[in-house]
Amino acid sequence: MASATSVSRVESDNRLLNAPSIVPGVLLLAGIGYAAKILERSINTYAKAHHWTFPNIEYVLWAILIGLVISNTLAVPKILQAGIATYEFWLKLGIVLLGARFVLADVLKLGGISLALVVVEITVSLALMTFLGRLFKLKPKLISLLAIGSAVCGVSAIIAAKGAIDADDEDSSFAIAAILALGALALFTFPAIAHSLHMNDVSYGLWAGLGVDNTAEATAAGALYSDAAGKVAVLAKTARNAMIGFVVLAYAIYWAGRGQGETVRNKAAFLWRKFPKFILGFLLISVLVSGHAFSKGQVTSLGNLSKWAFLLTFAGVGLRTNFRDMSKQGLRPFIVGALGEILIACLTLGLVVGANRIWGL
Amino acid sequence: MSTDKSPATPSSRSAALSLDTWAVIAALLLALAVRFDILKNVPW
Repeated sequence: MASATSVSRVESDNRLLNAPSIVPGVLLLAGIGYAAKILERSINTYAKAHHWTFPNIEYVLWAILIGLVISNTLAVPKILQAGIATYEFWLKLGIVLLGARFVLADVLKLGGISLALVVVEITVSLALMTFLGRLFKLKPKLISLLAIGSAVCGVSAIIAAKGAIDADDEDSSFAIAAILALGALALFTFPAIAHSLHMNDVSYGLWAGLGVDNTAEATAAGALYSDAAGKVAVLAKTARNAMIGFVVLAYAIYWAGRGQGETVRNKAAFLWRKFPKFILGFLLISVLVSGHAFSKGQVTSLGNLSKWAFLLTFAGVGLRTNFRDMSKQGLRPFIVGALGEILIACLTLGLVVGANRIWGL
Repeated sequence: MSTDKSPATPSSRSAALSLDTWAVIAALLLALAVRFDILKNVPW
């Protein structure tokens, strides 16, 4: 699964150019997403009509659950896989369009707070994962990959780092499997903990963006709490993603110094190559909306297009999570990842509570 | 990490566009379509 994920992620860039092969899988994503929306509405209507007290299960959770059931009970046909792999494209498209729902002042304020917290989170996460990896005697490059994946942005960061530090496929697969499994768990644990602590939307969104590693899972974990929390989670996660180049560059220099990684001649070009370009798209849309380039109705349309793109992403998150494949990846990397993630979740929760007291989020 | 040493042809350049870049291009096209009322009142 993990290796398949990394391969599909890399190949998905080219698959976008091969439109006919992605159609069946994209239709499946859209079908699951739409079914999730209908389920949410139908169950709520039925419960109201029959005066039932039934918890509101959002379309986000339905989309993930339907995807999980399909991927863990049926073999997904090969013809669908290219389209399913496009979920990451829909995620990034959704994030860029989400810029329409942020006034630039909010981006600067929340983004600034997020960046300050991200620097602390990344520093502590890297140190913590390195310590735990050495304690459990994991291979050095696997430690680096786990540290980068948990500190910055999950699968994307691991893939970005893999070439730069010349890590082998097996280590990358271990690290990706651990990050994905823990991301799947976070989908259910983060909202439950936040509800028990009565966190407000902004605080929770910041926590999800800082504490959940993979961008798709962080977006889903935020949206599971509330629409407003989902927006903030994406912003905080985006601030974290912006640091990917710096962290990977530091590791590349470290491993190159030991003769085991890419020699970086032009650091600026390296940083630009690793920088997630969708962040610039997000900022551009936010600037255009803040400059009143769109009417109110058009801003609503852009926001709704973003939601449709995320709907396909959430279906993809469920479809690509296969617990049986993940369990084959070995226990030790998972234990190190789990221990680290629990500690990082506690740390980021503390950071967000502190930020709430200081800045009144 | 591979570094591009061969001269980039237009086709290899377009094939080398990252997923991020494609997402930004698609989003900007959608934004233009909304701005010029080609896409109107997108429902949710």
